[in-house]
Amino acid sequence: MTSPRVAVLFGFGINCDHETAAVFNLVGGDSERIHVNHFVQGNRVLDDFDILAVPGGFSFGDHLGSGRLMGNRMRFALREQLHAFVAAGKPIIGICNGFQVLVKTGLLPGPHASNPLPDFVQRASLTLNDSGRYEDRWVTLEFDPESPCIWTKGIQRIDCPVRHGEGKFVMPSSTDFDALAANHQLTVRYVDPTTPAGQGMTDEPLPFPISPNGSMRNIAGVCDSTGLVFGLMPHPEAVYAKWLHPHHTRGSAPGPQSSDALGEWEGEGLQMFRNAIEYVKANR
Amino acid sequence: MAITRVEVTPKQGTGMRDVRGDVVRRQLKADHGIEVLEVRSITGFLIKSSVSSPEISERVNDLFSDPIIEDAVTDSLFLTSHSHFPTVPDAAITVGFKPGVTDNPGSAAYDGFRTIFDQEEPLEDASISTYQTYIFYGLPSEVTADWLATKLHNNLIQRAVVADSEACAQAHWPAISYPEKPPQTQTPPQAVNLEISDEELIALSESGLLALNLEEMQTIQGHYRDAEVQASRAAVGIVGNAPTDVELECLAQTWSEHCKHKIFASKIHHVDTETGEDSVIDSIFKTHIMKPTHDMQKEVDWLLSVFHDNSGVIAWDENWSVCMKAETHNSPSALDPYGGAMTGIVGVNRDILGTGLGARPIANTDVFCFGPPNWEGDLPDNLFHPSRVLRGVHAGVRVGGNESGIPTVNGAIVFDDRYIGKPLVYCGTVGIMPRVLPDGRESHIKTPTPGDIVYMVGGRVGYDGIHGATFSSLELTEESPSSAVQIGDPITQKKMLDMVLEARDAGLITCITDNGAGGLSSSIGEMAEYTNGCEIDLAKVPLKQPGLSAWEILVSESQERMTIAVKSSDCAAFEAMADLHEVEATPVATFTSSGMFHVKYNADTVAYLPIEFLHDGVPQLQLESEWRTPKQPIFNPETLELGDDAGHSPILLDMLARPNIASKESWVRQYDHEVIAQTAVKPFVGVERDGPGDAGVIAPLHGNPHGLVISCGIAPRYSDLDAGAMAAASIDEAVRNAVCAGIDVDKMAGLDNFCWPDSIESVKTPDGKFKLAQLVRANRELERVCRAYRLPCVSGKDSMKNDYGSGENKISIPPTLLYSVFGDQPDVRFTATSDFKCVGERVYLVGISKEELGASELAFMMRENGKSDGIGGQVPLLTHPEQNIDTYRALSTAIHAGLIQTAHDCSEGGVAVAAAEMCIGGRMGAQLDIDGTGESSVWSRLWGESLGRFIVGVQPEHEADFIEWMAGHPLTFLGTVTSSQELIISDGYDPLIKLEIPTMVDAWQNTLDLTGGVA
Repeated sequence: MTSPRVAVLFGFGINCDHETAAVFNLVGGDSERIHVNHFVQGNRVLDDFDILAVPGGFSFGDHLGSGRLMGNRMRFALREQLHAFVAAGKPIIGICNGFQVLVKTGLLPGPHASNPLPDFVQRASLTLNDSGRYEDRWVTLEFDPESPCIWTKGIQRIDCPVRHGEGKFVMPSSTDFDALAANHQLTVRYVDPTTPAGQGMTDEPLPFPISPNGSMRNIAGVCDSTGLVFGLMPHPEAVYAKWLHPHHTRGSAPGPQSSDALGEWEGEGLQMFRNAIEYVKANR
Repeated sequence: MAITRVEVTPKQGTGMRDVRGDVVRRQLKADHGIEVLEVRSITGFLIKSSVSSPEISERVNDLFSDPIIEDAVTDSLFLTSHSHFPTVPDAAITVGFKPGVTDNPGSAAYDGFRTIFDQEEPLEDASISTYQTYIFYGLPSEVTADWLATKLHNNLIQRAVVADSEACAQAHWPAISYPEKPPQTQTPPQAVNLEISDEELIALSESGLLALNLEEMQTIQGHYRDAEVQASRAAVGIVGNAPTDVELECLAQTWSEHCKHKIFASKIHHVDTETGEDSVIDSIFKTHIMKPTHDMQKEVDWLLSVFHDNSGVIAWDENWSVCMKAETHNSPSALDPYGGAMTGIVGVNRDILGTGLGARPIANTDVFCFGPPNWEGDLPDNLFHPSRVLRGVHAGVRVGGNESGIPTVNGAIVFDDRYIGKPLVYCGTVGIMPRVLPDGRESHIKTPTPGDIVYMVGGRVGYDGIHGATFSSLELTEESPSSAVQIGDPITQKKMLDMVLEARDAGLITCITDNGAGGLSSSIGEMAEYTNGCEIDLAKVPLKQPGLSAWEILVSESQERMTIAVKSSDCAAFEAMADLHEVEATPVATFTSSGMFHVKYNADTVAYLPIEFLHDGVPQLQLESEWRTPKQPIFNPETLELGDDAGHSPILLDMLARPNIASKESWVRQYDHEVIAQTAVKPFVGVERDGPGDAGVIAPLHGNPHGLVISCGIAPRYSDLDAGAMAAASIDEAVRNAVCAGIDVDKMAGLDNFCWPDSIESVKTPDGKFKLAQLVRANRELERVCRAYRLPCVSGKDSMKNDYGSGENKISIPPTLLYSVFGDQPDVRFTATSDFKCVGERVYLVGISKEELGASELAFMMRENGKSDGIGGQVPLLTHPEQNIDTYRALSTAIHAGLIQTAHDCSEGGVAVAAAEMCIGGRMGAQLDIDGTGESSVWSRLWGESLGRFIVGVQPEHEADFIEWMAGHPLTFLGTVTSSQELIISDGYDPLIKLEIPTMVDAWQNTLDLTGGVA
């Protein structure tokens, strides 16, 4: 069986494309960095791929709001291709700036489950951190075990770096959040690392720096109603190996004891990418 | 074309914040102690286009405002909206750009505008200008709106429109207009008559900002008197017996101190008044830097390319080579800290991209020297307060590095009063490239041939950045030109970088270099040396605005440009690649073998200079150097009065709070240090990830733990006693930092970046001989230490005019060498960090504490506090560097053998500060005894900064093996990590220090946290 093919977008200031491509390859994917304009100009076709990743970065310098200008390019130039991709049941991930792009194209959190295919209507936003600062710091994340998200199956709690200035997730009203919560689309939240695993998630805003940005309901990432499209502000690809965890020098970096990819050195972030690869393999 | 105004402001409501406004509020509190009730913000766009206002208004939520979080108005001022701004504010200030200044949000908005309004007719003349309005409520009555405006903008590049409380009350809101640049008329090239007196030659050099001395002007004069030269010029139809303005500007740039390093290349008559030495040094650079490195190059196989390219290249493994370069951007950062620093970092990124056939930047380093952030003394005219310089420089480097996707893995911030006159902004970048390209060429060798087409790629040429190279070769004055300042555009550069690396791998590039100082004149001029000639057509160069004269096009240092040579058969593929990436690439020149730097404007020849004269024609400077040991009152700690009970504990708290020692975390955390997913040792380490990291460690090949170490050392304080000791200390500190991280000491390379005050004796610089002698001593020590450490200097740079003003008010920086080290880290899973790891860990001092308190941080603190007269005494010396390196090798290999995980170098504040930092990182106490760490006084053993020392921690089970491993090296047992939350240091039975860790954490972390908090 051929490896699932992963399109990793780059261009216009996306800058996590190399490592995002690399982590898919570590878990059996066949990834390729592809400039956005190849899809726009029709040199390449999105349909040739099994997974789409929109990596982190500073597309268009985050001017006019993070992800907005890249989101517009995709919303106007790749609308049909994206719609067909989701309709075909293919997974999409947006990390950091990629999450911002997916939110601003309207792919996340997306329309209601009753009519789940993309309508490209923006329903949420990611805005400036309450601190007013871009920061690179490590946070602890916990995942909703009942989320339909295919990317996060079996993941309970991980440490990850955040690296953003605009990561505060907002929606116009609390009923918007309630609807997503009911469908378990509030997939991943910032949690207090001192709480027992599985008991960290709360709707009450957590203080800085546990919540690095003041996100409503401590949201770090959401999925669409199908669970195929997922986005998050933290960088799981940046902890693909234990040697990238700040505590590896103390001999206490968390992660699996063994792995096909990196032996005893696999980091906590890699499973997310393996989940998508396994999903594609199982569903074709 | 009509101009449409769009204004956007954040929605108000539960959970929503106006963060842009709130940041201004917090900074006023942090920097000036001013409490403002609320600050709100409006972002404005002035859209000049043929699209009508109603059309724009209809799509405003598709582009300018985010309907979830923002509201927008078209063609009116938001402040007139009572629903949005019901209360009359105390002040409203609008800040926009001056005409011609880079407006990155504006350019991005225009790009987005074209996505939406995809019109038949091209919108060539259309553009968008942006501005910010800040609205103040609850402003203390003593704070005026005009004063506020000075804090919110830099009038060199920005405009402010102010409404004070009276204007606000009358609803006279600030309405800024579109920054229309007055049309410029192109001046045709002029012949410049050089048949004038010597005085007039000097006057010409000064008035034209040429920065050439009399001998250089006479050399140029002589060139045009040569009959052969005149005849060859007549043949191409250019004025025969005089330079054109294009030629004179081109020579001034190429021959500038900035580009030619004339002081490092000079012939120096050196006198040492103490030893009686009287000798001549024919080029410091060739003698003390180049020669030792070339000697080392004969003995190793991994030094691939040194000195001649944009950065030094070393082989890293079989398939990959790495390179590094560091630059300074001091003068521009003094005038506009934000723009100057940003162009510094993105500029050095381009040096890496322009190395060999193109390397990929993978890590940045930033080292800054500023005046004290809490400075309360007078400030000379036109200089910013150090805290504003710090904020601006930090923001520029943050935006430049983060938006480029390059992690900042190492750096330092140093404070001294004298950097008020000129801040030092060092930016470094590490690059990586495949050793062999798919087409079989070695990537570190450029392969141009005559006939290759030369492209200018990336940004366009504008008025910004004219005379940067010559300007930085002059001292800073009140009249320093604003055209020397630019704002970088990291996204344009990132697009170019993506494209260039693709072109490299496709085998399309034969030669590449960046456009920095001197612009096209330098970039094409330097590349033309390979083929011995070029022909440029300036009329083909794309411009930001019409009207630039030929000489301005040739020397403008507008940012984000690379110059790339391509075989004529590859041009179509190269241009298609540029199109795809939306990068502008324009053929502007052809390589020839004519021996001439031939510049045309359409059919007319406007410059015709022999390549040899252009590059080798500058006469060697003859300089005088005279050393006398500086007389400094002695620092004698025995005369200090200590509190009876407290002992040294309060001193430690004061030392931890010194800006030079205090945590820089709140600043450093704003740099992305983890993009590319390779950073294995981050700038902050330990349990709470807030202990100091000694060096950056990266593993750039995903899935592979093979690593690189990047570190730095800087010790300008020691120059007050001996610049030679300063240089030795800088190198030793950089190497020790790298050793802590597990560098292979037999495969490491260094970069020397000298920042010096003017060292040429003149009326302006009466002590020039002494300052030059400082440079001589620094370089002699550099050679001695680097030869002993087998540490080749593979690249470097010097900035030699770091002074402000003249006469009694002159401020000269302390002579400063930044030494950067990069090298092999065999396996990043084996490294050591400064944080104590576990209770029971055994703590050792490696090295010996000598009686060396001269110019120590302790001495400076006591002098500033008025408790001591001087800082004089014995400065730390490296007496036997060849022994040190053996110890370092033993320590680094012990790390890789898994014997130790904890190591920290002793530098500012000595053993006491190092131990405190190790407790902070581990959040663990320790009980240490400094008895037996040297023959010196207790003050020296506790606070002295003797070189060659580390504190290491060893797990008890590895202790015996470690001691055996280190046999023959100086090693003293200090004590044990304890389960208490206290650092206790004694000297035998004498207690010295007893402090709780939380107390030390507060002292260390609070000084430089100028964020104003998060709420």
